Amino acid sequence: MTCSNKKYMSLMNKVLDDEATNVERRELFEHLALCDRCRRHFKELKQSTELLNHLSHPQLPNHFTKNVLERLPAEKRHAAREWMSRHPLLAATAICILPVSVAMFAARRQMLFQEKNNNDQLILLKMPGNRP
Amino acid sequence: MELKEKRLIKKVKKGNHQAFAELVDKYKNGVYILCLRMVGNRQEAEDLSQETFIRAYHHIDQFDINRKFSTWIFRIATNLSIDWLRKKKPDVSLDAEVPGTDGLALKALLASEEALPEELVIQGEMERFIQQEIELLPEKYRTAVVLKYIQDLSLKEISEIMGIPVGTVKTRIHRGREMLRKNMDSIRGEKT
Repeated sequence: MTCSNKKYMSLMNKVLDDEATNVERRELFEHLALCDRCRRHFKELKQSTELLNHLSHPQLPNHFTKNVLERLPAEKRHAAREWMSRHPLLAATAICILPVSVAMFAARRQMLFQEKNNNDQLILLKMPGNRP
Repeated sequence: MELKEKRLIKKVKKGNHQAFAELVDKYKNGVYILCLRMVGNRQEAEDLSQETFIRAYHHIDQFDINRKFSTWIFRIATNLSIDWLRKKKPDVSLDAEVPGTDGLALKALLASEEALPEELVIQGEMERFIQQEIELLPEKYRTAVVLKYIQDLSLKEISEIMGIPVGTVKTRIHRGREMLRKNMDSIRGEKT
């Protein structure tokens, strides 16, 4: 196996984890220069994880996201809100037009009503026997 | 977490599919690689990735918007992969036998003093071999090693994903590294 001194095993781990101080690094490498077993052990440890870095990174097929979305519960649809976010100008116009047109409609009715009232009063006035 | 992502997650919490699609696109390949290296099978890894995102969607209310989404999604993927391994265990150990020829290229590689030449490693045979080495690791070491060396995550992130203290993560990485090394001794053909 490796050098019986556990200290160097833990130093190897520290160096491989990038957590060793400069002093610790120097201490380990000075030992590795003298100890064949530890040198080989350290090299093998390094190699074992370096191999993992060389694995490929395959990608998922393009339709993956679509497949996921198809399996989600149906979206709570806010049709009006969606339409508004797609056409903000139209939405703003519509929002302004609505009260204006209601007001105009109301005003026109009022006018018609008053006109009718006036007419009625005229008729009343014209009717015989109603003269003051 | 970046602002754009926070905004997306707020939309997802309200049930917006389009916002969720953006999150899926951002993290799908990371999740897939994690599952793939954990279970070693492309089709299974794709299914597990899909399951990961569907679970994430259903439990998005439980996600704390001040934390990292990647940590959360990797945690789901890790747990699902481990569940799958536990159910699958008998089959995996039967497949674990390493065919003799697979080690040849690696043996040459390990014997050389130089850095690992990329063109050798890229080969499918090599890839299959390395994957088998990963699968020889018990799941708790495998998880730590995959998160560290394949996902390139910090110890702190790994500790959050695995739900264990940083010190335990370190120990598992050290043990995993040592096991990988030992298993490769059989390829080197050295008796130590």
